[in-house]
Amino acid sequence: MKSKSQQEKLFNFGISLLALGAFPLIWFLSQAILFRELTEIISRNMLVVIGLLVGSSFVFLLFAGMERLIRLAPLEKRDSLEARMFAGPSLFMIGLFLFYPAIRTLYLSFKDRYGQSFNGIENYTWAFSDAEMLVTIRNQIVWLVFVVFFTLFIGLIVGWLSDRLNKGEAFFKSIVFMPMAISAVGATAIFKFIYEYRPPPLTQIGIINGIRVSAGDNCSNNRLIDGVLYDYADSSCNRAIGWLQQRDLSGLNIGESLEAGGWFANMLVNLPLNTILLLVIMIWAYTGFAAVVFSAGIKAIPSDIMEAGQIDGASELKIFISIVIPYIKSTIIVVGTYMVVTVLKAFDIIYVSTRGDLETNLLAVKMLDEFSKYRNIGRSSTVAVLIFVCVIPIIVGNAFREKENSRL
Amino acid sequence: MTRNNQKWYDKPVTKLILVAIALTWIFPIFGFLLSSFRPPEAIKRTSWWESLYTGEYWRELTLQNYSEVFFAENLDRSFYNSLAITIPSTIIPITIAAFAAYAFAFMDFKGKNFLFMMVVASMIIPLQMSLIPLVQLFKSGIEIGGIPIIPALDINGTFVATWFAHTGFGLPLATFLLRDFMMGLPKSVIESAKIDGASNMTTFFRLVVPLSVSGIAAFATFQFLWVYNDFLVANVFLGVYKPENLVVTSHMSQIVVGLFGEAWHLRLSGAVISMIVPLIVFFSLQRYFIRGLIGGAVKG
Repeated sequence: MKSKSQQEKLFNFGISLLALGAFPLIWFLSQAILFRELTEIISRNMLVVIGLLVGSSFVFLLFAGMERLIRLAPLEKRDSLEARMFAGPSLFMIGLFLFYPAIRTLYLSFKDRYGQSFNGIENYTWAFSDAEMLVTIRNQIVWLVFVVFFTLFIGLIVGWLSDRLNKGEAFFKSIVFMPMAISAVGATAIFKFIYEYRPPPLTQIGIINGIRVSAGDNCSNNRLIDGVLYDYADSSCNRAIGWLQQRDLSGLNIGESLEAGGWFANMLVNLPLNTILLLVIMIWAYTGFAAVVFSAGIKAIPSDIMEAGQIDGASELKIFISIVIPYIKSTIIVVGTYMVVTVLKAFDIIYVSTRGDLETNLLAVKMLDEFSKYRNIGRSSTVAVLIFVCVIPIIVGNAFREKENSRL
Repeated sequence: MTRNNQKWYDKPVTKLILVAIALTWIFPIFGFLLSSFRPPEAIKRTSWWESLYTGEYWRELTLQNYSEVFFAENLDRSFYNSLAITIPSTIIPITIAAFAAYAFAFMDFKGKNFLFMMVVASMIIPLQMSLIPLVQLFKSGIEIGGIPIIPALDINGTFVATWFAHTGFGLPLATFLLRDFMMGLPKSVIESAKIDGASNMTTFFRLVVPLSVSGIAAFATFQFLWVYNDFLVANVFLGVYKPENLVVTSHMSQIVVGLFGEAWHLRLSGAVISMIVPLIVFFSLQRYFIRGLIGGAVKG
């Protein structure tokens, strides 16, 4: 009797191992090796076609093979067997692609640049003392504050006001939401065109500099009227500014008048202008997401609560602050959490615009720089761990809060 | 829903603020899109608003930038690469996740709750944590104490590395979303199918998958746009040094960074081309996309 149950346990263990480990591993390896070989053998165009067709459907072989195997098993065991077979590949991939690497990255963060020998917490002391890292952390904080605040704020306005409309609600929301569909690379290209700077005799084609240099009586953005060129060479004209090269306000007229002193003026002068102009791109891209989610939350508010407010003669602003905001508070926190996590992982915008130079770097870019530019595995892992450590408390706190809410 | 005193709200100031915000949001694209139809030298000669003002814009209208970036600059090849990355990277995680979601929703096995907790927990791991070990894994496999668990694969820089990476990163959300969706299906239908003697495979393919189409579509739209617009994973696993390995985003990044000089005519037209597919997907499947996004709001 005892030996039988032990046998059964062993059998179950073997099946679990097969389902969670061996079978997905065979699929993983065979797909990897098959396509590695194909890449070398066949032409590029064929590879694209085969990749599309076979790459997509190869995974079905895994489940078909499993199904075959299950048919061999005794009938009463099939159900629990099949459950593990079904869930196995997903758990295998999550383990191999998320849990194992996370542990390994943590481990590597205590190692030297080659990932060979331990060097204690050296990487972490570097992370909080290196001048470039400190600027990166400052930028990350600036991004977090500005992007999260403005996406939530403008998102709330759009979500609330568009709900007030009789028609055209979907239209307004779609316009603000549309940048969500555009890649960050494309969005950066769009804003680079707006911030574009060209050295003085040339026409300014970025609209901010274009407006800047043509303000004033004798100033014009290289306009050709009746064969006469009107330019902005006159000393009374504003200079064009390389916006993305501008680390502070000193190049602007405002900056010059602010120099007088006082901590507030100093802080303003040191405002990292290029960082702020770059984070505008992210605000532009993500506000629509906030607006759409808030709008869904606002629609869920029972209409009699709103009507009660109206009958009491509360102003629109009053209703917004004392009914709408408290009602969708948890939605605001969820979107806020999402934004914090997204900002911590922001990569494309900086990589494509300034490549992290000119004091605009962010953690995610720094992480990749350390890995592929400076070839320092230890430091790169450390930066990744920093991102992770910033993400955990936010999400865990959020989960606990939600649990408390559901208990109430 | 109808509200009786709607008029009370409908003040012009509401519309004014909304129109102002909408114009601010559309304005960056507006100038960009208009400029993309101007000849290369005209883009640099006069600003686009000036050319609109003088009427020069309409006289010079051309599609030459588009054909140049698409054919001469080989953006077409990157575009096909993008599709060859995106479609498998959408289908593989959906397939794997749908099976897992079915097991988590309708089947019983030991450790089910714990394993599902692990799936949820894995959503908070930022993908930055995975990059270095995965590059190493794809290059030289895994060894524990000198025993090779996974052999050296050497697949960095091939499509399959990117498919795997996107599958791994997309799976937690896919499994979570689909399981959530399947839990909402009428249990009695599935149970009666089982009583009728249908196997799990049959129930899955004949009943659960057809009923879950909108849940699957939500994740598919989300994942498709995510992968198509992704630059980080393509950059790390496919590389940007071999031109035949470029996808649309990495190709565009090279043009935008200025590897080919201040080639504004290429940046403009290339970026517009790169936006066409996601915008079509977005506008035709917006409803699903929003659902996937809201579900993904907790994804780390």
